[in-house]
Amino acid sequence: MATVTLDKLCKRYEKSHDLAVDHVDLAVAHGEFMVLLGPSGCGKSTTLRMIAGLEAISSGSLAIDGRVVNEVPARDRDIAMVFQSYALYPHMTVRDNLAFGLRRRRIDGAEIARRVDDVAGTLGLAPLLERKPFALSGGQRQRVALGRAIVRDPKVFLFDEPLSNLDASLRVSTRAELIRLHRRLGATMIYVTHDQVEAMTMGSRICIMNHGKVVQIGAPLEVYRRPADTFVASFLGNPPMNLVKATVENGQLILGAARLALSPALLATAGTARALTFGVRPEDLAQSSGGEGSFGAEVTAVEPLGAETIATLRIDGSESELNARLGRDANVKVGERIHLRPDLGRVRLFDAASGVALN
Amino acid sequence: MPPSSAGASAAGAHVARALGTPWRAVTVFLLPAATFYVAFTAYPVFRTLWNSFHKVLPAKEEFVGLANYAELVRDEIFWRAVRNTLVWACTSPLFEVSIALVLALALYAKVPGRRFFRIAWFTPVLMSYVVVGIIWAWIYNYDWGAVNTGLRALGLNSWTRAWLGKQETALPALIFVTTWMWSGFNMVVLLAALHSLPSEVIEAAELDNCGWWGKLVHVIFPMIRPTVLNLVVLSFVGKMKIFDLVWITTKGGPLWSTETVSIYVYKRAFEWNTFDLGYPSAVASVWFVIVLGSVLTLSYVFRQREKLEY
Amino acid sequence: MHRLQRAVVLFALCVFTAFAAGPFFWVATMSLRTTSEISRDHYAWPGTLHWNKFPDAWFNSNYSTYFQNSLLVVVSAVIILTLVGAMAAHCFARYRFKLNRFFYFIIFSTIIFPPQITIIALFQILVQYGLFNSLIGLTLVYVAFQLPITVYILESFFARIPGDLFEAARIDGYSEMAIFWRISLPIALPALSTTIILNTILLWNEFLYAVVLITDEDKRTLPLGIQRFMGDQMEDIGMISTGLMIAIIPVVLIYAFFSEKLIQGMTAGAVK
Repeated sequence: MATVTLDKLCKRYEKSHDLAVDHVDLAVAHGEFMVLLGPSGCGKSTTLRMIAGLEAISSGSLAIDGRVVNEVPARDRDIAMVFQSYALYPHMTVRDNLAFGLRRRRIDGAEIARRVDDVAGTLGLAPLLERKPFALSGGQRQRVALGRAIVRDPKVFLFDEPLSNLDASLRVSTRAELIRLHRRLGATMIYVTHDQVEAMTMGSRICIMNHGKVVQIGAPLEVYRRPADTFVASFLGNPPMNLVKATVENGQLILGAARLALSPALLATAGTARALTFGVRPEDLAQSSGGEGSFGAEVTAVEPLGAETIATLRIDGSESELNARLGRDANVKVGERIHLRPDLGRVRLFDAASGVALN
Repeated sequence: MPPSSAGASAAGAHVARALGTPWRAVTVFLLPAATFYVAFTAYPVFRTLWNSFHKVLPAKEEFVGLANYAELVRDEIFWRAVRNTLVWACTSPLFEVSIALVLALALYAKVPGRRFFRIAWFTPVLMSYVVVGIIWAWIYNYDWGAVNTGLRALGLNSWTRAWLGKQETALPALIFVTTWMWSGFNMVVLLAALHSLPSEVIEAAELDNCGWWGKLVHVIFPMIRPTVLNLVVLSFVGKMKIFDLVWITTKGGPLWSTETVSIYVYKRAFEWNTFDLGYPSAVASVWFVIVLGSVLTLSYVFRQREKLEY
Repeated sequence: MHRLQRAVVLFALCVFTAFAAGPFFWVATMSLRTTSEISRDHYAWPGTLHWNKFPDAWFNSNYSTYFQNSLLVVVSAVIILTLVGAMAAHCFARYRFKLNRFFYFIIFSTIIFPPQITIIALFQILVQYGLFNSLIGLTLVYVAFQLPITVYILESFFARIPGDLFEAARIDGYSEMAIFWRISLPIALPALSTTIILNTILLWNEFLYAVVLITDEDKRTLPLGIQRFMGDQMEDIGMISTGLMIAIIPVVLIYAFFSEKLIQGMTAGAVK
């Protein structure tokens, strides 16, 4: 268990103008499960590898448990990593794969055997101990990779998209296993993924990255409900948050042909901005019969999913489209005109130019 | 594009596919290769075996049963040649592959100028054995060859030798030449094998407290083992066949110290005063069996018990 | 790696480079010096560059004949090899039939045969059919000699072409032969060029079959021609050096332009 602190961490590759990792500040607390989330190429894996010591740090500092480790070689940082491709030693048995790191650290043979058997038992690897990686399924290999990390009893666990090579059903069960594992060990874990479902369900906190920079750090629901900018808003949620152009005039929000009264609090945050991006999640739009606080829209597509219905609609008086989550009994057809009422307590206003949240 | 006769219409193509192999096409494709193979490889092998049971003179052929083989067993020169060739074939891989491994690891470790080195070290393999033989015969020349000139310059006059002219040094000198030739080739292959290793496994080893030596021994060597063994077998087979180099430099001398089986077969077939092709055919047949047997044995010994999947 | 370690390693590598390429450069310098100059000092840098030695060797010492013979034999053999090999490789790779792997293995296994097992009988056969001492006979033998490795390299390449391309072509009504010409060959161009370069180099340097099957002076290939000058007591080192360069230069040119392809071709199959 340890804290990990990144202070203005940067990575610049030779011959490159841009920073792959751009002044990342991150403080991971004891026993926290921190998820680094972002699209491909956003720098999350590079950041993780710098924490591991597999990539050199260009500038900034990295501290584990208060001790700066920029120059400390990877093997002396007391961290363990689970790779995306598992990286098992193909010529060694499962037992040797698990024991290898311990043997290299000259731990007593009996202790090694105890730890290996212990971890094998926990992860259900006991019957596989004498097999070699080629004779294991993807899920089994992933557990061996996990076991190899656990058996080391490190200060920090690092995960580099460990679930992406598994098929969908295995992914769900392994996710649950990892959550249970974290609860049991109480270890500090840093987890890289591009899958927002993994991030939302597993993380104590999520750190969202884009283009090498940290965009927002916070608890999952916090980040979900109060995204810091339009990028985060559209990255989380499926379907993502609706972002439509709007303007504020005379204390009212102009959305196409509709005029919605805004609460004084919202008005204050909108400030003097005239042009805005109005953000509302599909589940925060309710079908209504019209009247105050709602606007009209024409249905352009309907997706009945059984448990709910997703409708795509075009706002009256505008070209903007949005998605709405309607109940499973909603009976709307393409071309129909309905009224929607947004839950103004949960909407977000963003600056139209920069995309930064205003409220 | 107009369809042509053999698969005229879509329906026809479907029928052809449903029926499986288009035998006409297969025959057309394989016939030329098969003809060459049968005429110039398969048939000659059997003809040579046939010869081995006969006395094959320009005018006639006379069946002699196992007489050639009996003579072969008593033939001292033959056994000398076999010993020389086996010594060559067994020691070469040791030198060629280990030197190559060291060089490949140096380039793998990102030494500057590695593109240049790789290209430069590969060049000896491109030269004909004839060219190589002539150049090295000059290098080994007693009076003005590079080796002796260098030794004299260092004041080591007593170490100078007629390298290719003395029995004790001739074969080692030639083994040195083939090592010179093939180390670069092996290096290129090993470098490619090293680059094909998955970097994440090596990173995992780094995290498992392996320094560069630990990584070499526990991860890198085991994973390139198939390629290394492959090169050993290739090197072995290559030396079992060697002819050109010896012919240009020593022709098997001095006193059969560099006589290889291929040289002996050639001499008996084309330079002996009796024009009998039967006896050299017997030698060739026995050698054929020995080479094949060795390769099969090596392959069995080196077999990978399970796949090294990564 | 520390600076000192690096410097030592680099130095060792440079020494090895001198070792590997040195002999070649030595011959190159000698090819431009006269024999008397060489006899005085074997390792001096050429004072005057006697470029005239090249045309001299070419015209007066028969190197032109040897070169032309080699050119003829190698070019013909490589053309035939590429066609015949590609057809066979395409067939092995794309058609399933019962003895496919068996025939492939038979052809492939001849790579390890020692040439002695065939050379004596080949001699007899060529004499019998009047092909002894002829460039045609040598060409045919060369084709058979290099067929296995050619088929091996091409087969693995053809096998990787996605089968859907062939299915689509068949549906479009192409005959099997047309599929070979219009689909397999164009896609396999990289592998074909690799085998062409490889075969050219190997056959250009080939010696054993040539020395057995050719005895006429005017039919000799280059390796044979060079060898003829060796063994005399009074070796004309200068002239031989020039001859060696004539033999080496085409190879060096190919290597200069196609080093990557050449390396790939020659090491094909060795990496597992």
